[in-house]
Amino acid sequence: MMHVALVGNPNTGKTSLFNQLTGTYEYVGNWSGVTVEKKVGVLRSKKAKMIDLPGVYSLHPMSRDERVVTQFLLTEPFDEILNIVDASQLERNLLLTVQLLEFGKPLTVALNMVDVAERRGIFIDQAKLAEALRVPVVPVIARTGKGCDRIEHTLLEKVLEQTEPFTLFYGEAMERAIERFIAAWGTEEQFPVRWLAIQFYEGNSYVREYVAEKLPEATWRSLYEQAEKEVQQAEQTPLDQLIYERRRSFVREVIEQSVQRQKIARVTVTDRIDAVVTNKYVGIPLFLLAMYILFQLTFDWLGAPLSDLLDAFFAGPLTDFVTAMLEAIGASEFIRALVVDGIIAGVGGVLVFVPQIFILFFFISFLEDSGYMARVALVMDRLMEAVGLNGKAFIPLIIGFGCNVPGVMAARTIEQPRERLMTMLLTPLMSCSARLPVYALFVGAFFAAHQAIIVLFLYVLGVSLALILAKLFSLTILKEEASVFVVELPPYRMPQWQALWRSTWDKGKGFVKKAGTFIFGGSVAIWLLSYVGPHGINVNMDDSFLAMIGGVLAPLLAPLGFGTWQAGAALLTGFLAKEVVVSTMNIIYHAPDVESLQGLMASHFTALSAFSFMVFVLLYVPCLATVATIYKETGSRKWTMFSMSYALALAYIVSLAIYQFGSLLGF
Amino acid sequence: MIAMTQLRVGERAKIVDLSQVSNLVKRRLLDMGVTEGSEICLKCTMPLGGPFMIENYGQCVGIRRNEAKNIQVKPL
Ligand SMILES: Nc1nc2c(ncn2[C@@H]2O[C@H](COP(=O)(O)OP(=O)(O)OP(=O)(O)O)[C@@H](O)[C@H]2O)c(=O)[nH]1
Ligand SMILES: [Mg+2]
Repeated sequence: MMHVALVGNPNTGKTSLFNQLTGTYEYVGNWSGVTVEKKVGVLRSKKAKMIDLPGVYSLHPMSRDERVVTQFLLTEPFDEILNIVDASQLERNLLLTVQLLEFGKPLTVALNMVDVAERRGIFIDQAKLAEALRVPVVPVIARTGKGCDRIEHTLLEKVLEQTEPFTLFYGEAMERAIERFIAAWGTEEQFPVRWLAIQFYEGNSYVREYVAEKLPEATWRSLYEQAEKEVQQAEQTPLDQLIYERRRSFVREVIEQSVQRQKIARVTVTDRIDAVVTNKYVGIPLFLLAMYILFQLTFDWLGAPLSDLLDAFFAGPLTDFVTAMLEAIGASEFIRALVVDGIIAGVGGVLVFVPQIFILFFFISFLEDSGYMARVALVMDRLMEAVGLNGKAFIPLIIGFGCNVPGVMAARTIEQPRERLMTMLLTPLMSCSARLPVYALFVGAFFAAHQAIIVLFLYVLGVSLALILAKLFSLTILKEEASVFVVELPPYRMPQWQALWRSTWDKGKGFVKKAGTFIFGGSVAIWLLSYVGPHGINVNMDDSFLAMIGGVLAPLLAPLGFGTWQAGAALLTGFLAKEVVVSTMNIIYHAPDVESLQGLMASHFTALSAFSFMVFVLLYVPCLATVATIYKETGSRKWTMFSMSYALALAYIVSLAIYQFGSLLGF
Repeated sequence: MIAMTQLRVGERAKIVDLSQVSNLVKRRLLDMGVTEGSEICLKCTMPLGGPFMIENYGQCVGIRRNEAKNIQVKPL
């Protein structure tokens, strides 16, 4: 099957187009760096494979996600390039197009965001653009799907007619240098060696590694130095600048021929929103207010009543119905206990929180798709700079409130390796949606009057500790290097309902899926462990295997205020996924619903120890999936171990301090 | 010719010299089409020495104050 790679500048609608063409859903958002890894899909007509890639400004990578693209071009087989071009920012988009044309693969330009361009008074004559670039140009609106069928048509037709390769003339001195490189390289490649030469001279770090693998160091160094000297002599400019300028003057000519501009001097909606949102004095308070509203809606105003309804349904009608069914088919007592006390208690106890989690994801999706995310990076940069990070690191942290795994992935767009590592290590301190059920359970039982404020405190605690640790790490193990902070601020866009819903569902379904797999399996296992003991089956739970395992941890946890085997067992299982803590509690305490569980827990926890327990759950080790992601992203066992051990130590110290001081103060 | 930090919010200027800006930041600015000769408008600044937001042909970019300090511009 034919393989088509989607390449283009960040935030130009590549993934939107990919979703339209393949009928799938991949992550879309209105900021640069949403897609950070390669994604593969199949055209609706099943005639070709599409490959969605991260956005890049040029093929010379500065960050990890940009590297993915250059690596893809050089090492993976594909047949065609679909280059997405943002019509409202033609110049810088075409600079990339030139590099792709030089790569020699058949190319189609999808001219996206035509609607935005027209609103700004930019009218592109696509026929003239196609003529100037000598490739097909198809206008589309990826958001609505307009023009997508034409894209598919052009893609499939295209390969047959091979056009002559595109070459741009870089001046005598540079051309001689390119020829020398081609001669030194000797062999043919799947792509024009000329392209490799230009990228090499431009200083492309990935290409340099690629070249260094084949040519001896002395050769490539002398090639580079000679070119540098000759170009400096002939043109009085550095190599990379010369290349950039030649491309730019070509692009400007193309634009000259094909674009009509109307002067529209009008204040845009984006300007008006930004006058408030990035206002010097209002910007930061507004962000905090937005986070507060997000939190209140999720936890208090909207989420809690819905969860209560669901809980009542699980505990009442569902349990009764299942029990009746099991009786009717004559199931044994063992099966009844497994289903009702194990599965319904364990899985149901977690599913109850589906409404809250979907509300949270809905608002995160809204932040992502509106264009506010990049503003947050801008507004928070000063604070982040003070602790040795940069504003862009705030994006992974906010995504981490939903789920830590995509949060860790989102750190890929941070250019500076040190800052990226630090962001990955600290993202797990963001209180993700899976921890919400644990808080809900405990605050309901012990802090009924101050539920929201206690949970809000936990969120703030997570963020504050992350900032303090960032400062600490950057003073000790991860010393400062020059940091880069340049952030692109896209125009605001009103998110479409359908896109919002897709995005919410895509994130939330992970939670539901986990309930059906991990938590289901975990619940069965936990229930069995609590049912069986060294002295037989159906034992008193205190004599079960679960009690033995949890009991090992109990003495260690005693100084924190929750030295029971129940707490030990719940925390241990919580490493699988944090919401399993709730499942385990439900099973251990044999509670038919959240309310009676909360009643039972009152005899095992005090308000203070419950608080200490919540803090511990917030901080102690990232869940299994997050640890796996950190390992994949850092590629280092050492840093993965570090992420787990520092979190555990931090959780222990903070909980200990809370419990001991709290006891002294007489709580 | 003045440093970008001396512009007033809302003022337009032409970039004259980027040579004092660190290489990585210069690369990124170039990527977004902000080079010598570009016309920009200072949109807003963040408090306590926070970042600057500039606009260039409808494209807004945020940079840090200490980088902006090294960008020489000519008010229009
Ligand atoms: N007005 C308008 N908005 C669009 C169009 N196409 C995409 N968008 C919006 O542009 C934003 C970016 O879309 P994505 O598909 O995530 O862009 P991307 O190129 O994959 O971005 P990265 O993965 O970050 O490189 C989203 O908010 C889309 O809704 C279009 O034709 N018109
Ligand atoms: Mg994308």
